[in-house]
Amino acid sequence: MQGGSSGIGYGLKYQARCISDVKADRDHTSFLTGTLSLKEENEVHLLRLSSGGSELLCEGLFSHPNEIWDLASCPFDQRIFSTVFSTGDSFGAAIWQIPEPYGQSNSSTLECVASLDAHVGKINCVLWCPSGNSDKLVSMDEQNLVLWSLDSSKKSAEVLSKESAGMRHSLSGGAWNPHDVNSVAATSESSIQFWDLRTMKKVNSIERAHVRNVDYNLKREHILVSADDESGIHLWDLRKTNVPVQELPGHTHWTWAVRCNPEYEELILSVGTDSAVNLWFASASSENKTSGSPVEASRQRVNPLLNSYTDYEDSVYGLAWSSREPWIFASLSYDGRVVIESVKPFLPRR
Amino acid sequence: MAAEAAPMDEKAKRMRDLLSSFYAPDPSITTSNSSINASFDNINSTSFDADQYMDLMIKKSNLEVLLQRHVQMAAEIKNLDTDLQMLVYENYNKFISATDTIKRMKSNIFGMEGNMDQLLQKIMSVQSRSDGVNTSLFEKREHIEKLHRTRNLLRKVQFIYDLPARLQKCIKSEAYGDAVRFYTGAMPILKVYGDTSFQDCRRASEEAIEIIIKNLQTKLFSDSESIQARAEAAVLLKQLDVPVDSLKAKLLEKLEQSLDGLQIKPEEASKLVEHDDSSNDTESNDQHPAKIHEDAVRGFSEAMRAYREIFPDSEERLFKLARALTAMHFENMELYIRKRVSAADFLGIFRIIWEDVVLMDEVLPEAALSDLSAEAAQVTLKQFVARTFSHLQQDISDTLLKFDINQKEAVEGEVLKVILEASQKAVLQGTTNIFQDFRQLLDENAGIFIKMRDLISGWIQKGFQDFFRSLEAQFLVLSGKTSSSNDIEGKSSDKIHAGLILVLAQLSVFIEQKVIPRVTEEIAASFSGGNSQAFENGPAFIPGELCRVFHAASEKLLQHYIDTRTQKVSVLLRKRFKTPNWVKHKEPREVHMYVDMFLHELEEVGKEVKQVLPQGTFRKHKRTDSNGSNTTTSSRSNTLHSDKMTRSNSQRARSQLFETHLAKLFKQKVEIFTKVEFTQESVVTTTVKLCLKSLQEYVRLQTFNRSGFQQIQLDIQFLKAPLKETVEDEAAIDFLLDEVIVAASERCLDVIPLEPPILDKLIQAKLAKSKEHNNNNNNNTVSS
Repeated sequence: MQGGSSGIGYGLKYQARCISDVKADRDHTSFLTGTLSLKEENEVHLLRLSSGGSELLCEGLFSHPNEIWDLASCPFDQRIFSTVFSTGDSFGAAIWQIPEPYGQSNSSTLECVASLDAHVGKINCVLWCPSGNSDKLVSMDEQNLVLWSLDSSKKSAEVLSKESAGMRHSLSGGAWNPHDVNSVAATSESSIQFWDLRTMKKVNSIERAHVRNVDYNLKREHILVSADDESGIHLWDLRKTNVPVQELPGHTHWTWAVRCNPEYEELILSVGTDSAVNLWFASASSENKTSGSPVEASRQRVNPLLNSYTDYEDSVYGLAWSSREPWIFASLSYDGRVVIESVKPFLPRR
Repeated sequence: MAAEAAPMDEKAKRMRDLLSSFYAPDPSITTSNSSINASFDNINSTSFDADQYMDLMIKKSNLEVLLQRHVQMAAEIKNLDTDLQMLVYENYNKFISATDTIKRMKSNIFGMEGNMDQLLQKIMSVQSRSDGVNTSLFEKREHIEKLHRTRNLLRKVQFIYDLPARLQKCIKSEAYGDAVRFYTGAMPILKVYGDTSFQDCRRASEEAIEIIIKNLQTKLFSDSESIQARAEAAVLLKQLDVPVDSLKAKLLEKLEQSLDGLQIKPEEASKLVEHDDSSNDTESNDQHPAKIHEDAVRGFSEAMRAYREIFPDSEERLFKLARALTAMHFENMELYIRKRVSAADFLGIFRIIWEDVVLMDEVLPEAALSDLSAEAAQVTLKQFVARTFSHLQQDISDTLLKFDINQKEAVEGEVLKVILEASQKAVLQGTTNIFQDFRQLLDENAGIFIKMRDLISGWIQKGFQDFFRSLEAQFLVLSGKTSSSNDIEGKSSDKIHAGLILVLAQLSVFIEQKVIPRVTEEIAASFSGGNSQAFENGPAFIPGELCRVFHAASEKLLQHYIDTRTQKVSVLLRKRFKTPNWVKHKEPREVHMYVDMFLHELEEVGKEVKQVLPQGTFRKHKRTDSNGSNTTTSSRSNTLHSDKMTRSNSQRARSQLFETHLAKLFKQKVEIFTKVEFTQESVVTTTVKLCLKSLQEYVRLQTFNRSGFQQIQLDIQFLKAPLKETVEDEAAIDFLLDEVIVAASERCLDVIPLEPPILDKLIQAKLAKSKEHNNNNNNNTVSS
């Protein structure tokens, strides 16, 4: 396959798992990433793609008290982000603010806006409401789902509601439905669960074991992508959840994460523990694609895998599309290497 | 003479003119006439003026001419005078003779009246005489005529009185034709006088006629009579005003009923053919059913022929019947082939049906039976071909599943091997049988088959294409890779035994490499026709495509096998890593249970693989070389670790990560995810690699305390030896095992590895224990 030599690399000092697109930054293509080191001083890096798109610059470097297991940038304020961290034997989650005059000064300290301290067990993720300026947050641990209201000016976050998913379902992650701000998908041991945040009740579920990651398609309502250990990537139509709309083979080993492109609805990225990033073309949708041109259909049937980026040394866990330049994505392998790639050559012609 | 004739003519003419003028009743006409022609010199005209003429003459002519004229005129006058004299004389003569004649007539008529009266008298007397004779004979003649009439009447009456007897006689002599003639002759009289004078007679004759009708009907119905006789009987019956239509209906109904008897019932069909086969050894039994059937059909067609002649207007009905029979035959045939039928049996039945059709076609060529049956035969044959393929597919999947059911009770032993061999045989044998069967179809010479030969070839090719495609699909369904649409999701994946998937994979390879080439050859050899016309859209059988399909399928299935196997291990590992709190782990006492389970799984994979897959061509020279590499790698990793530990302990260097990176750089990058090959070693290796990778990933998700790390270290150390035993690519395994240790150490709060002696001791203890366990097991099995 074409190697990732075209990509722009950036090395973190330590191992890392998570990277997030800074959606609120409308002037630059920026990413936030945090390291995962048990014993060393962990860092949050704010990376910015230079205007020419040829260089990845470190715009800010902030020390973070614990190793970071999850990181999400606030969709309406580029300076705010959330992390899930672990001290080794316990987990915590917090909202942080990047200090105002951030700049060259190394390891400036982050301001803690709020601590999401309603959890006891292992926290999995913090989700920002995708609607843009809502102050709602959802945090998940293995048993509970907590809805927060954040007041960044008062530097406080209060629990709006909290619901236990039950001992049997150990939640592992989730995604907030961009088409319906009241719906959150959560992955658990045996199923994908859909929660209604108004009632805090489980409204629906897809029975599927060991789902590792889910993502909503921003452009296509009702389409959800899931990645699981067993058989790769599945596309679901949320209106008929018994059979997946499409299956993609996934990775040689586990498929760790999937992301739908925010602009090009057919493009799906997945990363896996086989040290590869795969770019998929998934045109199939239950109804509207039947009229698609036969050429496109045949291409899709021949091989949905558009490209595999394999120039990684270790398992790839972090993945984020840029929302500003939707043909750019950032990937992060465990050895702390951020690689920015452009999928421009594979963009569907319109 | 001529010169003389001319003046003669002229003379005669003048004479006539003169006479006519003389006799002319109206002189004016002649005058006017002549005046027109007249000229002065024309003496003959009435308006002739002598003086004028004279003047003119004198003026015109000289003396000589005048003299001449004078002479001429004098002569003419003389002539005229003589002529006139002659005329008068002649007239006078005539008048005298007329007077004489009248005088004679007067004397002759005298006395004639008396004669006339006499004649009249005589005639009158003759007439009166003849009248007398006439009146005298009249009475006698009247009498004679009367007598004659009576006699005729009497004769008729006699005939009628004799009719019953005569009819009886006719019945006796079976002269039904005469009888019918007599009866119809007597009919009018009987009709008029039947109720009065001839009552008895009529009754008797009617009785007789009834008998006749009955006889005629029996004759008509009896099959033994000649067709001629039966046709005559029908005609006679028609003459007797017997309602023939109802008879016809009855007859046809009977015929229709006999159809039932002619059916080849699916249950009996096999018997028909069986006896056909067994007729060789048991001559006495002499293929009863087939024979009977043939006779029956022959009888049927004879009957049809008869009816056709008897009732020429009932053809339509007969056509319908014949068609119904044909249709019924083919329907039954379809029912019949719903069960498994060999081509020979099929052909047997087909032949019988075709014979029937031919028989009927002879009788009713207009019914277009052969066309009808050809069409039906096509459909049936097509179905047969399709069914044969579906049976084969069923067979194959049955073979695959039959053993799978036993698999639980049976000692795992060689089951997979047995399944594989059985299914390979099933595929090969099945295709061979199919070819044999179809060759029989092609060799068959019954009429329709010749026409359809091309079609059959096409169907067979298409059949094979479809068969292989659906077989592939079924393999995937069987393996649980794709859930068939009517299956409930999830149900399938649990039930399927991983070994079966492996068998399917190997079977796909077998089909790709052995079966499809063979089939291609066979098709090329015997079924190459039919492509051109039957399938315009390219040839029906595309071996290249099928090979590709099966190649892909085999790879998919093999991958699926590995996936399911690693999945099992993955679940095991997940449980292992989810359950304990690794941060508060207690000091390792022994190698953990899951290692055993992991090894057990691997062992199972090894067993299955050994049964099904071939050995790799380059088996590693195991003992000699592996020792060396073993020591070097392990020592390296050991040194690496101790290095790392000391450093991290001493100065908590940030460079720990760089360290490992550096180590990786120097180590060759090991390709973990290589392409799987169809060898025992490759599959096992891939499985192990994937499992170790999973192990590494699980480790990375946890945080360990010292004891936790030590536990991992111990487990991995224990795994090392047995894994290397089983696996081809030792370097990769070493690398992966090290990776696990590295991952654990990275995720450890307090990395202090176990001392090698303790490690060794614990491993030895475990080995001893497992050996003992094995022994116990063995003893148990032996004792039991």
